[in-house]
Amino acid sequence: MNWKIWSLKKSPWVFHVNAGACNNCDIEIVNLLTPKFDVERFGIKLVGSPRHADALLVTGVGTWQAAKRLKEVYRQTPKPCVVFAIGACACGTGIFNNGYHVVGPVDKIIKEVDPNAIIAYVPGCPPKPEAMISGVVKALSAL
Amino acid sequence: MNHQELNNRLSEIKNKLISIEQKSDKRIFLLCEAENSYAVNKFLFEDVKARFCIVTGIDSDDCFELLYHYSYDQTGCVITIKAFIRDRKNPAIESITPFLPAAEWIEREIHDILGIDFRNHPNMRRLILSDDWPDGVYPLRKDVSPNEAKELKK
Amino acid sequence: MAAILERDPGDKKMSEVLQSLFWILIFPGFLFTAVFGLVACWIVRKVSALVQWRVGPPLYQPFVDVMKLMGKEILIPEDAQRTVFLMAPIVGLAGVLLLSTMLWRITIAPATPFVGDIIVAIYLMVIPSLALILGSSASASPHAAVGTSREMKLVMGYELPLVLALVVVIIKTAGLIEPGQQLSLAAISQHTPIFSISGFLAFLVSLLCVQAKLGFVPFDIAESDTEVASGVIIEYSGALLAIWKIMQAMMLVALPLFLVMVFLGGFHFAGCPLARGIGKYVLVLVLLILIKNTNPRVRIDQAMKFFWVYCGLTLAIACLLAAMGNFYHIGWL
Repeated sequence: MNWKIWSLKKSPWVFHVNAGACNNCDIEIVNLLTPKFDVERFGIKLVGSPRHADALLVTGVGTWQAAKRLKEVYRQTPKPCVVFAIGACACGTGIFNNGYHVVGPVDKIIKEVDPNAIIAYVPGCPPKPEAMISGVVKALSAL
Repeated sequence: MNHQELNNRLSEIKNKLISIEQKSDKRIFLLCEAENSYAVNKFLFEDVKARFCIVTGIDSDDCFELLYHYSYDQTGCVITIKAFIRDRKNPAIESITPFLPAAEWIEREIHDILGIDFRNHPNMRRLILSDDWPDGVYPLRKDVSPNEAKELKK
Repeated sequence: MAAILERDPGDKKMSEVLQSLFWILIFPGFLFTAVFGLVACWIVRKVSALVQWRVGPPLYQPFVDVMKLMGKEILIPEDAQRTVFLMAPIVGLAGVLLLSTMLWRITIAPATPFVGDIIVAIYLMVIPSLALILGSSASASPHAAVGTSREMKLVMGYELPLVLALVVVIIKTAGLIEPGQQLSLAAISQHTPIFSISGFLAFLVSLLCVQAKLGFVPFDIAESDTEVASGVIIEYSGALLAIWKIMQAMMLVALPLFLVMVFLGGFHFAGCPLARGIGKYVLVLVLLILIKNTNPRVRIDQAMKFFWVYCGLTLAIACLLAAMGNFYHIGWL
């Protein structure tokens, strides 16, 4: 298999983006990155800049204000990269469906920038850290 | 002050109110018209010394209502001023920010969402709607559909 | 081989050049130090994980990190100064490369003609920090500008105590080394200044200065602000970021090795002393890791006050003690 994809699977660096979330999923993501769940054994590391990232953890339904910024962050992430839509809102607008401030779920916004984006969905409100780990591992092994 | 003394204090401003409703020992509603809300708010905040909590905006079908919630911590009583804004075309009310700076942001939010004009507000700017939101579309009014803004943006 | 070398001066020059290239690029230069450095990175992460009661990353993790970064695209911001942006990581890598080659050469074969002494080592150690400052200020990002100013202040803070600590060592060993060789690392590494009060104080201060130079907590103000606000390498991606990571890995070899040579009596490449040498290196590395894991990050003004006031005073006392010890021939002062 391609060495680039193999090394991406073994060392995914994540960057967390909040595209208009209620913060519940954000708290669960921060819980995930604490020593208790030890995601460093998978090579997962939290980085502070999208330019260092391989995986974007996007929470929240995409609001008008956040959609522009989300597209910009996606463009600044060097390819190849994976987008994880965390939470029911990011997967498909959740309870905010048809709201006045909703542009669309995260995959609709990302596909406007890059129709071939790799997007993985981790539903839940909020998803437990164990569910997120399972989702990340399944997504990486399917690459 | 206990409950009885609080009730006596509140009746001092009775001439500015439509009525006083006491739903229970700890829940009092003061109903008034929009023109008198400034004076009633000032009375509650400065004379009775209740603690300001938040403002709620309601779009009732024939008028707008603004509910100012105060908490009287000595007895645990929550006092709400219900101000009726009868003019639906150009709703306006006096802002209470000049003597109550904590109300600045909630009045900005109500202006964004319901379109009520707060006179004498020191810093009326957009707060929670996105920067490219079209002017004049107030999303939580009953006669505005959720997709109206999207139509206007296209 | 010697006959072939004698035959033609042009040939001799050529094989010398090839030999030097081998030293610099393969052993003990780039390849060896980079591999050793990435293993040292793994040791840091694994020990940190064990201190936090968790399983850490597997052994190949830092290698896979670098490999993955090589495979990503390089994004250059529109407003960045292209030349400086691209050259800064390479300049930093060159500085560390020369430093580590020099230190290994002196350790492996102390009798070689002049490769570099303590002054050259100090000079080469500043180059990676300067390259970081230049690279981040060429990034045209306000976050990187904050990181740049903090890194500059930090460098101003720790450079002086580091040099003073080395001055203490030079004073301590001056009486024991023949004149003319007093600055030579090969000669200094025969002695162990740490077993004296002034040497011990100087070792403590220089350990903290090395901690700051490596960008470890509590002095990772410039780079790891990524977790808090943003850092100096915020705009780097792909292969350029890989070069920064390799540079940091090589510093993780060169700087503790430098401390071992100056304070702990060097690294000798023969049999049992080799194990002792590796033990000393691991000791310094573990001290750095433990300080890293038990301290919070400090603010830049706290760091500067710490380096200039506390470390400066400590080193002033250490210098006095060393000079007195030298003058009165008391070994343990």
